[in-house]
Formats: sequence, C-alpha cells, structure tokens
Amino acid sequence: MKFALLSNVNVDSLARRVAGHEGYVPEGFGAWTRELADPAAPLWAFAPAVVFVLVDGRELLRGRDEPGAAESEVDAQLGWIEGAAARAPGTKFLVSSLDVPPLGPRTLRHPFLERRVEERWRAGLAALATRCANVYVLDTKELVEEHGRAAFYSSKRWYLGALRWSLDGEKLLARELVRVLGALSAAPKKCLVLDLDNTLWGGIVGEDGVAGLRLAETGEGARYKDFQRRILRLKELGVVLAIVSKNNPDDAFEVFDTHPQMVLRRGDFAAHRINWTPKPQNLRDLAADLDLGLDSFVFVDDNPVEREAVRSELPEVTVPEFPSDTTRLPEFLDALHREHFFALESTDEDRQRTASYLANAQRAAARTSAGSIEEFLAGLATRITLGPAREDDVARVAQLTQKTNQFNLTTRRYTEQEIDAFRRADPRSVLVASVADKYGDNGKVCVLIVRRTGAHAAELDTFLMSCRVMGRYIEDQILGHVVETLRAAGVTALRVTFAPTKKNAPARSFVERLDGGRVVAETPEGGRTWEFDIAAASPVTRPPYAELVAGDA
Amino acid sequence: MEEKLIAVVAAALDVPASSLTLDSRLGDVEAWDSLAQINIVSEIESAFGAEIPIEEIGSIETVRDFLRWLGERA
Repeated sequence: MKFALLSNVNVDSLARRVAGHEGYVPEGFGAWTRELADPAAPLWAFAPAVVFVLVDGRELLRGRDEPGAAESEVDAQLGWIEGAAARAPGTKFLVSSLDVPPLGPRTLRHPFLERRVEERWRAGLAALATRCANVYVLDTKELVEEHGRAAFYSSKRWYLGALRWSLDGEKLLARELVRVLGALSAAPKKCLVLDLDNTLWGGIVGEDGVAGLRLAETGEGARYKDFQRRILRLKELGVVLAIVSKNNPDDAFEVFDTHPQMVLRRGDFAAHRINWTPKPQNLRDLAADLDLGLDSFVFVDDNPVEREAVRSELPEVTVPEFPSDTTRLPEFLDALHREHFFALESTDEDRQRTASYLANAQRAAARTSAGSIEEFLAGLATRITLGPAREDDVARVAQLTQKTNQFNLTTRRYTEQEIDAFRRADPRSVLVASVADKYGDNGKVCVLIVRRTGAHAAELDTFLMSCRVMGRYIEDQILGHVVETLRAAGVTALRVTFAPTKKNAPARSFVERLDGGRVVAETPEGGRTWEFDIAAASPVTRPPYAELVAGDA
Repeated sequence: MEEKLIAVVAAALDVPASSLTLDSRLGDVEAWDSLAQINIVSEIESAFGAEIPIEEIGSIETVRDFLRWLGERA
C-alpha cells in the first residue's frame, strides 16, 4: 500500500522501518506543509493511499513560544491538512495528536502554554475529523503516555540527526503505522469465539455452581468482569461474538440468566455451541451457521489442549495464547483488538452486525461432519497411569466423588472412611488414574469403584472423571482396560449403571456409546443398568490411542 | 563481544551478519549511511548498556572502531 509520511522532524529512519509498503517522504523535513498545499508537488504525483502527518510539538513551537503565535500556527497547520483532504477525497489522512514536553524552566504559575497548544490541536483535529470523512486521528500522544517521554524521545538522536524519537519510540511508531496500513490492506477478523469456564468467568460452573464463580465488580473477580466489559466494547465496534464451550447448556445459560455480575448477555452472542463435541467441529459448524470463513475467526480459550486442537485441525483459525496471569485479561483483550480486529472506523451497520448474524445463525440448521479428532488425540501424547488407590490416594478419591458432577455415571458421594473401607475389603476395587500429556500432568483425575458381586460377576459402582480431561475419550480406554483385567480374573458379566442428574450429560453420552449391553433395571428418573457379557467382547468400541501404564495392587 | 557487535550492527542495517567484518565501514556498506549510523549507535547503546558520547561518534567509522570504543570502556 502506498503511503506518504509528512512531518516537521526527520522521518527517514521511521519510513525505513515500515516494511512491506511503498513509502514517500518529502525531501527536507520542513517541506511538509508546502507539499500539502501545492497540487503540483511530488506528493500528489506519488498518489499515496494514506498520508500520515506526524507533528512534533516542540518543533511546532520553535520560535513561536507565546500563546498567540503558537495557536495561530496550530490553526494554520490544521487548515493546510483540511485543504489537502478536501482536494484528495480518495486519500486517507491520518494526523497525529500533539505532545508538547515542557519547553524549559517554569514556576507553578506558568501560563501552561504546552497544554494550551496540545488542547488547541486536539480540539481542532477532532473537529476536522468530524468535518472530513477522510481525516482520522492517529493518537500518537497516547503511545507516548503508555511508554513515557523519557523512553519515547531521545536527545542524542535529535542532536545527531533531527530524529526526535528514541530507538524504541521509533519502533513503536513504525509498528503503529504498519498496523494501520495492514488494517487497510487486509480484512480484519470478524468473529471472536470465546470459551466460558475460566475464560469469561473464573471457575467451572458445572463444578462450582453459579454462586461459586469468580466474577465481581471489585476485587479478584473484577478481572473477569472488566474482561467482559471490553469484549462488549469490541462487539459494539462490529465484532461478532460466539461461544464454544464444553458445558451443559443449562449450566452455562444459568450463569447468563442469573449471575448478577454478568456484563455479556445471551443476546450479545450471534451463535453458540455449548456441548461436548470436540471444539474444532464446533467451530466448523459455527462458520457454516454464520456463513463466515474460518479465517475470520479468533478463538480464545484458557485450555492449552483446546487451543492446540484448534490450531492443529483448523490452521486458518487465529488462536492467541491465553494470558497465564489472568489479571492481564483486560490488556489481553486490548491486544486482541489491536492485532486482529482493528479498523479505522465502525459504521452503524458494523454495530448491528451481531443482530444480523444472529438471524442467519437461527436460520441455519445445526450440522455435524466428520473431523480429524483422531489425529489431534494422537498428537497429544497422552499417558494414562491406572492402578489401585493407595492409602495416600484416599483423600483425593473421596474428594473427587464429592465434587465431580459432569462426568460421573452414578454420582455416589463417599467419605474417606467409606473409600478406605472399600479398598481394605478388596484392594483392587478402587482404581485411580492420572493423565498426563505433552502440556503437563493433570494429576489424579479419574476414579473407578468396581465391586465383585459374584465369582464371575462385577458391577461398576462409580466411574467419574474430572472435567479437565473430558472430551478426549480417555474414559473409553480406561474402561476398556478395566474390562480386560476383569476378564483375565474370570469375570464374565459386568453391570454398568447410569443415574441421570442435572449435570451429568457427559456421562450419558459415554454410556450411550457402549456396545452390547442388556438393560436389566430401570428407574422412573431415567436411570438404567445394563449387563455386558465381557467374556468375549468389550463394551468399548473406540480403539485405544493413549499410552496406558497399569500399576499393580 | 565481537560476534555480538557484528550481529547488532547487522540487525541495525538489516543485512546478514555474514556480510560484515570488523573493517566494514560507514559509506562502504550500501545500507550504512549517516542516518543508519545513528541507528547503529542507538542499537549498540541499547545492546551493550553503554552511552557513546556525542563527541566520539564522529570519529567512529568502522565496526572495529565501535569494538575499540567498547573495549576501552570495559
């Protein structure tokens, strides 16, 4: 993209840093106003798409350090810009704000010339940008404020070569110019896809309940509320919001509908996929529903495994790293905006965009299609360690039976004493599994209690797993292994019970994919017990993919 | 220090380090003009935590001159 760089200081070095675009800098850095005013100047022959005007405050005041002269110079410069903008309506003029450091020693009753000049420029430029559709404010003073004048300016570079900015300041400005040119030459992202638990709020609604979530106006939970506020601002700029979350829809919507601190409402999202389907598949479905390309999606999730799944299966989706320090969530959102969603302006149409996509999505039917989940799982290097619970596992096992709601077949709550009694009666009855993958160790996340009910019969009293590792078919492989062990011990019949609760839909989808069971009992609440003949066949049909290490009693 | 210095100068000039030697000189290397010289000074100051006095800069013309200045300082 062709750009011109006009300034009252030396910007040759800055222009060299704006890589990937064709730049023009007038000869002699005092010449910028003349070039603007003269239709025959080389600037216009160059025909830039964008003209950056970077005005240095100290240079503007050189020789004009009293209010009358300074303010009339401000008016004159803005006037030249306005004249040029009117003559070249197809060219965008990005004009800097003005930063005027102290001109010298002064008292506390000084006339505040620097501030008056800054303010005159700010107000004049704001009015200009309102009058002229092709004039924009490039708020370079904000950059100076972010980094501090001491870091942004350099006296040495000034006296050596009329380079006003320090190396860092110049690089920051260059990045800003590249960002603007990039936003003008490529379409920004359109849709921000958000996870819920530990992303929009702290905690896991399926485990902690609505009241247990960290989300508040002040204090610790405020980081999530502030994050949500900024997301709402992004939506108001025309970014489409969507949700992809592994959750029970009822739990998730309960937060939206009842949590008093929620900033984002259901209606702020154009579409959602709240289910236990792998996220890449959900993203494909969202793209189809919203009729958006996957390359216009930015996917934000606190879970590195989910991010990796999306990166590996859908490389066209942008997947930023999630801040490890969640107090930085507000800044994280600002960075997302700068890097992926930045646009020079937003229209009424942009602001209404979510509503129109919401309508599209409601018309579109939900779809599912085959994904390459197997490849993704194979790439995780998952390692399952399964063995009988030892004495020092008892507390953790009891805690998991108390707390786990989602992947839990029977939701039987046990105390430490009860767990200990089970394992004393039969050391192989209480099994615990830990799961590690290339991102780290998830610790002990899965518990099975298998009761022997006869010489050749057993029942699965408890099978639960933490939500940290759900959606990866680890449960299939673990049960498959347990079945083999039981068969080797002479068991031919295994009973599996599913007792539905409001929260355990993930367990339901697991029992529904077991193969060959005969229903032997049913409850009015929808509970079922199946008996599987495991002498020759396994109820588990998915092939194992993880490395499984079985410990001994 | 020599290797780091060449890397810093090369980065400032946006040329490969392999194209520079200690005897590379302002004016001889295409990208190394008087403007680039200022950026080299800034990059070296930042990379080595040094302040090259403005009086010295005029007499520095080669990578070796920078190395000598840094060496005297150390």
